[in-house]
Parts: sequence; C-alpha cells; structure tokens
Amino acid sequence: MLRLAMKMLVGDRAKYAGLLFGISFTSFLVTFALSYLCGFLTRGFAVVTENPAANVWVMDPAVESTELTTNIPDSALSRVRSVAGIAFAVPLAFATVDARFPNGRFQSFRLIGVDDATLFGLPPLQGGISATVLRTPDAGVVASGGTAGKLETPVSKAAQWPYGGPRLDVPARRLAAGDELLVNDHRVVIRGLAKSLPRYPPKPLMYTTLSNAARLLPPERHLLTFVLARAAPGVSARELATRIKAQTGLKARSSADFKADTVNWLLINSEDVGDMASMVSIAMLVGFGVTGVLLFMFTTDSLRQYAVLKAMGADSRLLLSMIFVQSGLCAVLGTGLGLGLCAVVGKIAMLEFDYPFRMMWFTPIFGGLMVMMVSVVAAVISARPVLKLEPGVVFAGR
Amino acid sequence: MRCTGVTKSYGAGDAKVMALRGIDLDVRHGELLMVVGPSGCGKTTLISVIAGILDRDAGECRVLGRDLKRLGTKERARFRGASIGFVFQLFNLLPALNLVENVTVPLLINGVPRKDAESRARRVLEEVNLGLRLDALPGKLSGGQQQRVAIARAMVHEPKLIVCDEPTSNLDHATGQTMMQLLRSIAKSPGRALIVVTHDPRIYDFADRIARMDDGKIVEVIEGGGKERLQ
Repeated sequence: MLRLAMKMLVGDRAKYAGLLFGISFTSFLVTFALSYLCGFLTRGFAVVTENPAANVWVMDPAVESTELTTNIPDSALSRVRSVAGIAFAVPLAFATVDARFPNGRFQSFRLIGVDDATLFGLPPLQGGISATVLRTPDAGVVASGGTAGKLETPVSKAAQWPYGGPRLDVPARRLAAGDELLVNDHRVVIRGLAKSLPRYPPKPLMYTTLSNAARLLPPERHLLTFVLARAAPGVSARELATRIKAQTGLKARSSADFKADTVNWLLINSEDVGDMASMVSIAMLVGFGVTGVLLFMFTTDSLRQYAVLKAMGADSRLLLSMIFVQSGLCAVLGTGLGLGLCAVVGKIAMLEFDYPFRMMWFTPIFGGLMVMMVSVVAAVISARPVLKLEPGVVFAGR
Repeated sequence: MRCTGVTKSYGAGDAKVMALRGIDLDVRHGELLMVVGPSGCGKTTLISVIAGILDRDAGECRVLGRDLKRLGTKERARFRGASIGFVFQLFNLLPALNLVENVTVPLLINGVPRKDAESRARRVLEEVNLGLRLDALPGKLSGGQQQRVAIARAMVHEPKLIVCDEPTSNLDHATGQTMMQLLRSIAKSPGRALIVVTHDPRIYDFADRIARMDDGKIVEVIEGGGKERLQ
C-alpha cells in the first residue's frame, strides 16, 4: 500500500510538481539564506584566513574580534617573541583612514600596516607584481575589500589634481599602479591591487609597511594592533596561545578560536548581522508556511480517496503510514532538489558576482532538517481530518 | 445479514433527524436484494449501518454472524476489508493508479503480497472484459468501463457481501443493464449476497427481492413476482 501511496502522490502530476516546487523552494530559500549569512560571517574574519601561516593572534585583552580593535605597545612584539615555542612573530597594524582621490572625492579605507622586513600580512598582488614594491617610497597597495565602485579615479588628467574643488561626476576608472592618493595630506603611491579576500563589513583596504603607516597616521602612542605568531613544530597553536597569555598578559588566540570569537562577536554586536538573521528567519517562516500549507492541501484534497480506502477496510495506522510516506517522499526529494539548486546558484553567484555565499556543512543539514520537521508537522496536522474522516461520505446520498 | 428494529438518527435536540425508524430486514446467501425508495428515505444510512461504516442507535444487526457495533474500530475495519465489497455511484477509483493497481487495493489492505494481488487483479479484470486495458488510468475509461473496474475491485477479495450504491445512476440505460447483468453473472454467487441501493426502476428486474423504503422504514419487501408493480 505504501508503494501505491507514492504512486497516488506522483500520479497527480500537477499537485506533485507544485508540492515539489514549494518544498524545493523552501529548502533552497532556507539553505541559501543561511549560506549567505555564513558567507558574511566568514568575511568577518577574512584577515585571519588571509594569513594562514600565522596560527596564533596576540592582541589587547579587551579585543574580541577583527572588527573592533585597539592597539598594544610596540614592546609586545619582543615580549611575544621571547615566549618558548614561537617559530616566528610579526607585527600587524590596523587603522582607519580617509583617503582623498585625485578628483577630490574621499573614501574611508582600512589601513593595514605590515612588517617592513617580511611584508607578512600582504596578500599576493594582481598581475604578478612583486610584494617588494611596498618597500618603495610612499607605496601603498589597495583592494576593494568586498566593495564595488569605491576605488574609482578620474580617467582624464584634467579632472585630477590640482583639483581646486571636487569634480565628482567625471568619467572614472579603477585605481591602478602609479595612481596617487592623499592620506592625512601625505602622498600614497598605489603600487598595485592586492588579491585580498572580501571583508565584512565591506571596506576598501590599503596595505602599506608599518613605517609608512606611522608616517600616514596621526601621532599615536601605540601603532601595533596584532602580533601574528606561529607555533614551533611540536607545539600546538592553543598551547602556544596559553603560554603567551600567561607570560605577557596579552590575549592570545589560535586562528580557529579567533575566527570563532569574531563570528560570535558579529552575531551579538553587528546590527547588520541581526538584520540578516531576521531576513533568514522570515525566509524560513515563509518557506515553512508554504511547505506546510502545500502538504496539508495535498492531503485534504485527497480526502475522498482516503475515505474510499477507509470504507474498504484501511485502518488508521495504514492511512497514517500513507500520509507520512507521501510527506516524507516530498520532503526528501524537495530538500535534495533545493539543496542542489542552492549549491549551483550559490556557486554561480559567488564566482560571477562575488556574492558572500558559504555553504557550510551544517547549512544543508539544518535546511533539510527544518523541511523534514515542517513536513512531519504538516503530515500530523493533515492526518487529523483523515483520521476523523467519515467513510460514509463516499456514498452518493451523503 | 439480519437486522431487526434498527434505528439511527442524526443531530440532537430540535435538529434531530430520524434516518432509520426500526428497520427489519434480512439478506440471504446468494441473493441480490435491491433497496429502493425516494431520496432521503434512509437507503444510504441503512447500507452504511449494514457495512459497519455507521453505528446504529438501537436494534440488532448481524452481518455474517457478527454484530459490527460490538467490534472495535480496528476490528470493524478489518472485517469490512475482508468480508464486504463496495461499488459506488461515482466509481471512486483512485485516479493516479492504473486498473490493476486499483483492483489490488482491497487485497493489499488485507495483507496479500503485491505479486499475488496483481495476478488476482488481472484475472478479475479479464473476467469483466478489461483484460486489454490493464495499465490504463481510470480517467481514460468510459463510465461503464470504470464501473466494471469498480465491480472487479469489489469482488477481487471474494467478500461474502457486496454493497452497491446507485451503481447505474451515472450510466446510460444500455450500460446500466450491462452492468447489472455483469453483477448478477459474476459478482452474485451462492456464497455471496449483493445489496443494491437504487432509484432506477429499469434495473428492478435484476433483483431477487426488493425492499422498498420510505421515511426511514421498510414499507414492503417484494419477492420476484411483484416487481412489475413497482416499475
């Protein structure tokens, strides 16, 4: 009978297609929305991902994420280097600067100051340009940092400085090597574009050496934001982090832990993430509503058929099994189709439009489980009228 | 099947409607009994009580020696599945299933393995002259053909009682006559009784006896010879 239940479901092509479409859409929506959220959160710790060689991050004890930071004394670098079990430790500085473009437009950048000696922290440059260009005078390397249209400079020399006032509506092109910007009235010569990972919150990035950063930034007591360290062979990152914390009083986190800290911080503190989580929740509710209603309607539309079966001797257990088999089949197929669609659309969106999409291991599981749960709830709700069904309705006079 | 003093009402208080007002009726082995009467006289309620689909309020009713009211819901469903076949006015075939699958349903409900059920269903469909349409869907068949499938479905599990509810009212005269001939020739057998509820006087000739109902009562039971009077 369960095989026939499946045929009853599949045989009603229009309803079956509608049901599959609805459930696939729900599964797609839920998984896509979650993957979108994961994508954004992943961008939150992009700077950690960008530096895989450093597996311990040292910072001020109050820092909880890559997003909201404060600086530590320059002596922290030496103190960290003195901890046993360190393979290497390099400085990294974060700051926010406003850069003036040649046409007078200004744009906020995240300035990342990297170690002068090693240039550790600078991603590879586009066009195969060597990282050593950063050692040239006034050099800077920029990246979009997940933004669009924020690295535009005027095409025409006439629209560039001396500007004598902003010329904002002029034809523009992307910044390229040789272009110049002003940061705090200091010249920065763009030497290339970095292949950086997109950031969340999105913000253009400007890489420079620590010494140049010190020149660009207003005088500050502390310039250093992080010390990036690597544990020596035989020492785990967590173990080293514990040692650094004990010996220096600074906060030290393994890369994995710091990523998790950043995600937690963003989840709690970022209004954008809150808005996105609300959107995900609404998407889920809409999707679940659609799935539930479609499944319920499918069963209630078939009430007469169930009445016939009941009149012919089918007991409640058999009818329940049939309903659950139908719901289960729809849920499994719909979830599979939705997840497949989500993977394909997400990949295309990611590759073609730089979309923040990350389908983590738990997103399809969560999406699938939710759809299954809704299907079970819909089946339970729609089972009620079937169980209460009076088989006598199949007679003409009723 | 023997019923005595069976009553059944719907609703309560001022809205209470007496559908059956003390029915005395028996159906013998191997006979085709027609229950006739105007709309609303209680025919459908009567067959629902006989088939164990509705509970009577009072009286006695034993079907194949069992008092269905005393059985639990599950046992009653099992009894219905094993011992009673149904033919409905609107055929009530499952539209997504082909003819063989439709006819296997009573067997599968009774736990017959699928392969056996399908071979029995094919055999019965051949008996009702649908051997060439085994894989067709009900929607592709004429009304008469659909009713033949319904008859095959009603008898495939060899029930002792077949209940037919207005089996010819959705069919033209000629097809209705053919259908009744089929019911008499194939479904009716010494060990099996048929109860046919109908308004259609043109098929009264097929009855062994006719129970005429009015206002919830059997007003007369006519043996073979008196049928012309009703027609």
